[in-house]
Amino acid sequence: MQHLDEGTIHSWLDGALSADEAARVEAHLKECPECEAAVAEARGFIAASSRILTALDNAPRGVIPVAAPKKRVDPIVWRVAATLLVVAAGTLVVFRNGGREARIATTNADTGQSAITATSQNATTAVAPMAPTGDETTRMTAEPTPSLSKPGNSTRGTTNGGLQPSAGPTEKSAAKVGAANTSTPTSRALSAIAPPVVDRAEARPPASQPNIAARDDGKVAAPVGGAVTGNISTSSGDAGQAAPAQQTLSPMRLRGATALDVAGEQFSLKPVGHPRKLGVKVTLYEVAPGDTVTFTEPVSLQLDAVVVTGLGTERMAPQSAGKAAAPPVKRAAAAAAASAPDSQRPAQALEALAPAPSAPVPAARVEVENGVTTISWPDPTTGNVLTLSGHMPEARLQQIKIRIERERAAAAAKKKP
Amino acid sequence: MTDVERLFRTYNAALVRYLTRRLGDRDWAEEVAQETFVRALRQTSIQNERAWLFAVATNLVRDEARKDMRRRKHLALLAEQERDEMVEPEETTIERAQEAAMARKAVDALAERDRLALLMREEGLDYNEIAEALELSPGSVGTTLSRARRRLVESYEALQKSREEREKNAAS
Repeated sequence: MQHLDEGTIHSWLDGALSADEAARVEAHLKECPECEAAVAEARGFIAASSRILTALDNAPRGVIPVAAPKKRVDPIVWRVAATLLVVAAGTLVVFRNGGREARIATTNADTGQSAITATSQNATTAVAPMAPTGDETTRMTAEPTPSLSKPGNSTRGTTNGGLQPSAGPTEKSAAKVGAANTSTPTSRALSAIAPPVVDRAEARPPASQPNIAARDDGKVAAPVGGAVTGNISTSSGDAGQAAPAQQTLSPMRLRGATALDVAGEQFSLKPVGHPRKLGVKVTLYEVAPGDTVTFTEPVSLQLDAVVVTGLGTERMAPQSAGKAAAPPVKRAAAAAAASAPDSQRPAQALEALAPAPSAPVPAARVEVENGVTTISWPDPTTGNVLTLSGHMPEARLQQIKIRIERERAAAAAKKKP
Repeated sequence: MTDVERLFRTYNAALVRYLTRRLGDRDWAEEVAQETFVRALRQTSIQNERAWLFAVATNLVRDEARKDMRRRKHLALLAEQERDEMVEPEETTIERAQEAAMARKAVDALAERDRLALLMREEGLDYNEIAEALELSPGSVGTTLSRARRRLVESYEALQKSREEREKNAAS
């Protein structure tokens, strides 16, 4: 009998031959070591090509503008990337110096209406100097975008618009570009609620400024974190004197806050990293752009957990440099965080992370220090003490805790069978 | 559940993966997949659903057809739900990004028919379905696949080798 051709071997391995043909192939293989070797090689090719194709599955989103998919990689992407790099470095410097003040402003208590008005005005003026570009983006927002399925598209518009001023490299406009760029993933999550992107891009960058303005006034904005932005936008909307630019600012902030606070379950809980720490598994979850919480669990006795940690450590290694370079202050650094690429998401919450106590505690314990809330509670199954901390009010952190517990329970249930 | 919803839930993941691998962009892939299901809506009967969907998606990629916004919105919502249920993959590290880039190059180097046959096979289509979707004779699918796999692996290995050499040169 003739040797088997490669096509027949692959068909046989893929189970595509009829019973007769398959029997013939098997009979031949018994007496032909050459063809047997060819089969081994074919198996190798099948496995290797599957593996190679799997590497394609992490394809980026929005590399190609949705409306005109034929243009592949736009040079603008590179310009944005370059701008991001500059901004990331710039904001690091700025927040090293100015960050502490801003944090004081954010973490202080009560909401003063006048302070808020001042804040929102400030925010408006912060946008205003953007003259031509600002107008353009505003117009884009004002038209109700049917953007549900095309967030990538509108982002692109903003990015284009926002990019021009970065030629004259003002901190603010550059940050704006960053925010516009990084907002894509979230905007998808939010798109069921609102046409997103553009306003968010506007809302982000001045974040540190309103806080400072509030402090100058002698009064201060809301407690912490997401609440600050939420409150600001609410009152500027309520005041009814909002200029058009201001209106484009506020709804998104409000919606963003609503998505997180009211809907509760709607926020994304995306693991963005596993900073290495001895004896514990640390997971950094991103709950909003630039807003992360740190979840810590001891791993000593669980073999699978150790393996996972090892894997995480190995994979994370190239990123640790980026993390170390990230700005140290949480909410005030929102603009910086938004402008940094995902992989460089700051790990500030780690700073204030209390080391996980070794003995189980009876119930959840809450500590607040420097505006960082930390909840510790025992794992119902293992008794290990779990810790969750983040720069946000306790209520919100509790919501996140519930969500994490639920996901852990779901993951555990999946593992068992 | 309407018929198109059933189709969507059954085949969307595979179709999007196939298209993502083919196009290198997840958004674009989802766009084309949704358009494919919109087309399925207009169809009164489909003999082999999977072969039909993959064939239509492949043709859509080819001729960039017009889109139906309204229906796609509904499907975008479904896709949103599905994404929420999915566990996000870990971040892409440099290493993995390099692997992906090499894989992309190696896949792009294949002839279109070889590439499509291979990508369809990876999504579980059998030889008859591949033959139907690509208008090939069933007998030639094995040959097509064997050629595609060999070339893919060989060009990937070549890329890997040249990368290693570059790194070695850079280090010395």
